[in-house]
Amino acid sequence: MVKVSAANLENIFIRYDIKVEQEATPEDVFNEMAPEEEPWRTITQKLVFLEDVTDEVEKALNKHEPEDVINKGLIPGMDINGELYARGIYYLPQLILAGDAMGKGIELCEDAMASKGRTREAKGKVVMHAAEGDPHDIGKDIAAAMLKAQGYQIIDMGRDVPVEDVVDAVKKENPDVVTGTALMTTTQTAFPRVAKRLQEEGIDVPFIGAGGAVNQSFVHRFPMGIYADEAADGPSICEAVKEGKTWEEIREEYDEIVPSAA
Amino acid sequence: MAKYTEMAYDDAEEMVFGEAKEPVTYGHGPQITAGGGQVFGVTKIAPRPGAEARPEKLKTEFRKITKTILQRAVTLGFPTQEIENEWVHQMGENPVEYAQEPAIAQQAAIAEEFADEYGIATATTHTIPDLRVSEKGLRHGQDRESYYPEKVIGSFEIAAENGADVLKIESSGGMELADYGIQRGDIKAFLFGIGYLGSIDMEWLWSQIVDIAQKNNVIPGGDTNCPAANTAMFIAGGYLDQDIARTFSAITRAICAGRTIVAWEQGATGPDKDCGYEGPIVKAIAGKPTVMEGKDCSVAHADLMGNLAAQVCDGWSNESAEFHEEFSGWSSGTWAEAVGYEVSLMNTAKELGEDKTLRDIYMASDRYRSPESYIIAYDNAYKIGEAMVEEGDSYYRRSKAAAIKAAELIEDAQEQGKLQLSAHEKDTLEKVVTDLRALPEDEDKFVEECLNEYGDLPKFNPKNYGL
Repeated sequence: MVKVSAANLENIFIRYDIKVEQEATPEDVFNEMAPEEEPWRTITQKLVFLEDVTDEVEKALNKHEPEDVINKGLIPGMDINGELYARGIYYLPQLILAGDAMGKGIELCEDAMASKGRTREAKGKVVMHAAEGDPHDIGKDIAAAMLKAQGYQIIDMGRDVPVEDVVDAVKKENPDVVTGTALMTTTQTAFPRVAKRLQEEGIDVPFIGAGGAVNQSFVHRFPMGIYADEAADGPSICEAVKEGKTWEEIREEYDEIVPSAA
Repeated sequence: MAKYTEMAYDDAEEMVFGEAKEPVTYGHGPQITAGGGQVFGVTKIAPRPGAEARPEKLKTEFRKITKTILQRAVTLGFPTQEIENEWVHQMGENPVEYAQEPAIAQQAAIAEEFADEYGIATATTHTIPDLRVSEKGLRHGQDRESYYPEKVIGSFEIAAENGADVLKIESSGGMELADYGIQRGDIKAFLFGIGYLGSIDMEWLWSQIVDIAQKNNVIPGGDTNCPAANTAMFIAGGYLDQDIARTFSAITRAICAGRTIVAWEQGATGPDKDCGYEGPIVKAIAGKPTVMEGKDCSVAHADLMGNLAAQVCDGWSNESAEFHEEFSGWSSGTWAEAVGYEVSLMNTAKELGEDKTLRDIYMASDRYRSPESYIIAYDNAYKIGEAMVEEGDSYYRRSKAAAIKAAELIEDAQEQGKLQLSAHEKDTLEKVVTDLRALPEDEDKFVEECLNEYGDLPKFNPKNYGL
């Protein structure tokens, strides 16, 4: 074998990610952003450091309204995780694990609300699926976790979902946004079929199309289609929809709205 | 079937591109001999979205793809040209209508025509789509809704009977656990999914594929862990990505080698599937030919080992590129050219007796670019292979041994200051090592623990694996 050490590797490649590495720690960001008041601080702390929040949420529900537990404890915790991700301190697994913990907390709060005859008002509702014929759904699952973390209600239809089932789910659930993911060039052709059927049903709903072989020119070719390059684009697009922007407007202002476009 | 308990090569230094201990010959004209002394080029192009609308349309698409690849190869004087088809979903769903004539028979005829007219060695490889979905059932009789297990096996039969030279698949057993593990940085879930369940699924699948191939006198090539380890690599991405740590992705690669080699243990002969970055590890163990991809797959993803991937390949390939027009012609031709010139470089090095020098330059250029390139640098791939064969009799223990060896190699290189790791990569590696070392020695105990821990995951059904 050649003597690899004879080469000056700095002339060959540069670890740019290490050069720009953040010195801030999760503790720093937690201290910057966490609520001071208890029990919200402890709930937030548990979420940020990826621990089970069940005990803290149960205790909090004895004294506080479930809506407050969500809005003052759980959501601030996920906001901090979002900031840690944005700063390059946290990675995807931390977001997913925090999302798992938050999900358990939300479930307890929703049960408490149900016992009082109330239901939770989510930020918005999203119907998600992997295209008919496509068994690859890790992208959908990641996107779903990111949307859930932002407070959206997710109707997850799974993978290899027939076009008609998607249309039926949209009719039944009346979501703010529908999403489809595909890994293969020819399974993404289910997207325009979904869009066509929705049009025939008189439904106009933003339809995020994404996945491995999917590109913007394909998705923006059919009505309602909005392209997302990364799972992390989902919340920004849904936010724009909740602000009242139509799919045409989102396409028009795509570079300003969608983070990965920049 | 016997499992590998010793290495095919006495030493890592023996391994070089274009040569395998057990060469395989197939195809038209002078024929391709994978691992027989020359590297061969493999070009892979996906039909445009919409081409699958009708079988006739798909047939036209495949005719153009095939002809434009072979025309470019002849135009530039390449001695060999393999064409690989990764079947689209519709072909697997309805192989008689969408695959039999449009892709298999037509392509075989064109490949033969070019071989007859110009004397170029040609071959067609068919990669059958693994349509199976764990929720519906992975084995015969379990999926009464879509009949995917039956359709997958039926597709192999149709490909073998109608002109395919080589059969391959990117099988997906254990993916449901792997996806869960990748998203949460849970190496135990990945090891259970791919190292154990995936290996069991490979036995089921490959024993049937080998039978079909032997019955029809075609080559049962091999598999790769594209749906899991490549997914991890894809998500880990390059230096700007922060989805999962590259140290985690590298360990998943070592684990998946234990699964991929099951195809060969079941009687497949190679060459294996081109996007199998575990190729150097399994080649070191089995000595069968391997096809690889690196820089020429940039159209699909960034892999941080564009050159290194070529170090010990027998076939060199691109990744599925969409069929469309470029300035110089169809994308099929442009990728055939890019792949073909790389192959020419390797074969020129062989003619000049400088192949091991080029091998080392390919390897050195990316050796420390990422943890994954580091562990499949051929000397390290060999060490991982050695760790695996020591535990060869147990799917679980050999995948775990591969993972631990890969982790140790990364740790050592990092401690020596050669392999740079980001804080996140270091933290993840530390957690992975801790998790791996906490695992039981005994396979039954491991399986019992995993069934308790992951048994309730919605997509996981132990019956898919006979458990």
